[in-house]
Amino acid sequence: MSDKKRFLDKDFTRRQFLKLSGKSLAGVAMSGTMMSTLGVTAAALAEDKVRVWAFPQGLLVVNPDRCVGCQRCEINCTLTNDGCCSSYISRVKVTRNLFSSRNGTGLYTENNWVYFPDTCRQCADPACGNACPVKAIYADESGIRKVDQDKCVGCGACTAACPWHMPTVNPLTKKSSKCVMCGACVEGCPSGALAIIPWDEVSAAAQAI
Amino acid sequence: MSVKNGINGWAGSILRINLTTGAITTEDTLPKYKPYIGGMGLGYKVIWDEVPLNTDPLAPESKAVFAIGPLTASGVPCSGRMNMSFLSSWSKGYSIIDAHMGGHIAHAMKYAGYDAVILEGASDKPVYIKIEDEKVTIEDASHVWGKGTFETNATLTKEAGEEFDVASIGLAGENLLPYSTLITSFGNSGGAGIGALMGSKKVKALVVRGTGAVKIARPLEVKLLSNYMIKELVGGNNNHNVPTQPQSWSEYTALPANRWQGGPGVTWDKAPGGVIDTEEQKPGFINVAAMRCQKGVFDFGAVAEKYTVKVGGCSSCPVRCYQEYDMDPLADYDLPTHVSNTCMPIISGKSIYADASAVHDFVDEKDAGMILGGALCRAQDEYGVWCNYGNLYSDFYRAYNDGILKEHMTEEEWNSVNWQLMLDGDPRWCFEFVRLCAEGFSAFGVIMKGSYYMYKEWGLDDATKNSAGKNYYDEVSGKNTNVTYNGYPKHHSSEDAWQSGLLFNAMYNRDCMIHHLTNFCRSGSPYEEVIKPVLESFFGPGCVDAPKAYTPINENKVKLAKWAFNGKQWHDSATLCNWMYPMTLAIDPKRGYKGDLDLDAKYMSAVVGEEYTRESLEFECERISNLLRVMTAVSFKLNCGSDNLRVDHDAIPAWVFDKEPDFQAFEQGTVKMDREDTKKAFDMFYEMMGWDVETGLPTKATLIKFGLEDCIAKMEEVGLTLK
Repeated sequence: MSDKKRFLDKDFTRRQFLKLSGKSLAGVAMSGTMMSTLGVTAAALAEDKVRVWAFPQGLLVVNPDRCVGCQRCEINCTLTNDGCCSSYISRVKVTRNLFSSRNGTGLYTENNWVYFPDTCRQCADPACGNACPVKAIYADESGIRKVDQDKCVGCGACTAACPWHMPTVNPLTKKSSKCVMCGACVEGCPSGALAIIPWDEVSAAAQAI
Repeated sequence: MSVKNGINGWAGSILRINLTTGAITTEDTLPKYKPYIGGMGLGYKVIWDEVPLNTDPLAPESKAVFAIGPLTASGVPCSGRMNMSFLSSWSKGYSIIDAHMGGHIAHAMKYAGYDAVILEGASDKPVYIKIEDEKVTIEDASHVWGKGTFETNATLTKEAGEEFDVASIGLAGENLLPYSTLITSFGNSGGAGIGALMGSKKVKALVVRGTGAVKIARPLEVKLLSNYMIKELVGGNNNHNVPTQPQSWSEYTALPANRWQGGPGVTWDKAPGGVIDTEEQKPGFINVAAMRCQKGVFDFGAVAEKYTVKVGGCSSCPVRCYQEYDMDPLADYDLPTHVSNTCMPIISGKSIYADASAVHDFVDEKDAGMILGGALCRAQDEYGVWCNYGNLYSDFYRAYNDGILKEHMTEEEWNSVNWQLMLDGDPRWCFEFVRLCAEGFSAFGVIMKGSYYMYKEWGLDDATKNSAGKNYYDEVSGKNTNVTYNGYPKHHSSEDAWQSGLLFNAMYNRDCMIHHLTNFCRSGSPYEEVIKPVLESFFGPGCVDAPKAYTPINENKVKLAKWAFNGKQWHDSATLCNWMYPMTLAIDPKRGYKGDLDLDAKYMSAVVGEEYTRESLEFECERISNLLRVMTAVSFKLNCGSDNLRVDHDAIPAWVFDKEPDFQAFEQGTVKMDREDTKKAFDMFYEMMGWDVETGLPTKATLIKFGLEDCIAKMEEVGLTLK
């Protein structure tokens, strides 16, 4: 079965979707409705300018072009999950891309206007969980990987193991935290740079092609 | 890490850095500064207690206070501003002033655990301050001294590492010129001479990273209030609350055009992944809020879309008033093409071309203002040059065209300037002009000391003392609708907001930076259907006038002025952005466009966990207003021998009354004011503030009411007589 046919399959699943890269997604002939649903242009998809991640709840679309650097994703993440306001312990991370980042983006680099939120990919085979010496990272009933705060010893192995260093040990509590897919960052993004497209909508949009 | 302190809202610590001794110490923010909230209030209290008001602003004994407040980085939208308080090095009286800075560094400072950083003393070699939570060091800056701010900021963040933010001064600050800024992010600046203050202490930059957090008493409530504000209340920049471009859901479109320009067909043409359409921005939806403003389209029309990559602004702010451009035509002149700015420099490019006929378009019709503005703001930010809300440009323009500038330069100096760039309308003139200013070259150095100094130095304050035969303060002309006798311009004064605007414009030692009234006046909402009923529901009948249809002063207009005056202190102390707050009008038609003036107090209660009301916050802020007044009075006494602020500080320039000679005040079609009516307005304002009507000084009873007994003693000590 071709990628295109699988994408159109009514029973298309997250696991199947994971096999599609951004490029192969672009390879699927998508209708204007579908693109509009994703809030991105065909050119952006074709050039890999938009990052698309398959999550248990749906498709997470990160569009760096729309990111305006306001950090409200980090604010809403920590207000929701930590009862405080912080960049460093936020599960979604834009501040580290905003100034002079390791990848050469940010306001103080040649790529001044390139900055975007990094998100947890909710990997099927999670490096963070695999590296945890006390097996504190587990998948809940929805498949969302979380840190068991009772088990976590704050060693930082998860941070080091994650290719994108997304889990972060809170310097105050000495416990790691990572994205729990609460959606606060997406809900509060004022520019639509972050969006979650629920799976039924993805399927419906695909059906409409 | 602020959460460590267990305090809600405030970080709890103040960092003090003595550049002379190298001592780095911390002290508790509360309880000493809680009555002053934070930001501006905290900064004023530090200067009042620690710096004699006849101190040379650029001496080692002088101090600069970089302060934020309990709402900074609390999650509250538009809480990304930092306030800097210090003594003015350029305005009459050399009294207390503030600079205000957006970008992201206020959040970094709060997350690092500080409500304020006090710089005192002076280093003997260039340094920068590196702050990483509790780890604070004074670092060598010799490798970036003399460099522009863009290179400095890039160098220092690269050296410090990911997540460090930075703010640096340019050449103007290093050269101790009063028209100097501190620059952070990309085009975010604090002005008013903070560059010279830092330069005098040989501090090139602040480099900050914080891994801590701000503790919030009721975090869910803060989130819900923020969502409510973004969904129902906040519009474009200046909280303009109806879109200029027609949108399917919108009852009104802005008339005149306003700072809500986003809408279907308004695009970011240079987005790397292809054109992005800003589309509709219906109330009730958070994810479209950042698309509302599109300030560049307000400034330059549709041609701005062609070079727009995206929009930017400050931490926590959903409004995004910075247009982020890649202006290709500048590359033809070997100038940087990346430009971002929101206000004076970007809209003022043409104003430094003394012969307007030289200005020409570049690629598209009517793109001259944008391309030259792009060059000017990039140059000013590079060199850290402040414009004093446009005085720099108008003073240069007038002095050039009146022949005054040439008189004060030697022939050799004059001939060394590449005037041809200006005469050709070449964007490189922006860089040449700004470089001359930042270097303090010849007569340009006099302009950079400020209008007050320049007019006095060149006899421009007296028509009999200069070859042009002009008084630059009182001249009624197209290039002077701005300057006051204290050397700073009006900032949304009577031209927007009748007597109320005049009153609060006279209260500070720089332009007032109050947007309370201009925000609704220029909102684009219809006056009869929206502005008048909403404002009168808050402040009573007659508090507002229709545009160019002013009426004599009344008590509710004075109430409005007092609310704006105290409210500005609140915003710069909280800190919240006064360009956006207060939420006087709303975007949601279902609310009848009525905003929520209690929102600030609701935020404060949810963040701090103590109950505040609009009235209780206004009381706290009136304390700061009185401290400003006391400090101004003491400075004017010590530095100008003045016993009377009403006469020597609050005087309204003649052009306010004498312009538009074909009109009488209060006729339809004019914003000119009436002298007798203005006198009455000030009488009423002083009385409402509890100040002596004759001198404009706070009475003893007023100072006691706000717990400012120490002010009475100091004022009497310097020889001021209080009622």
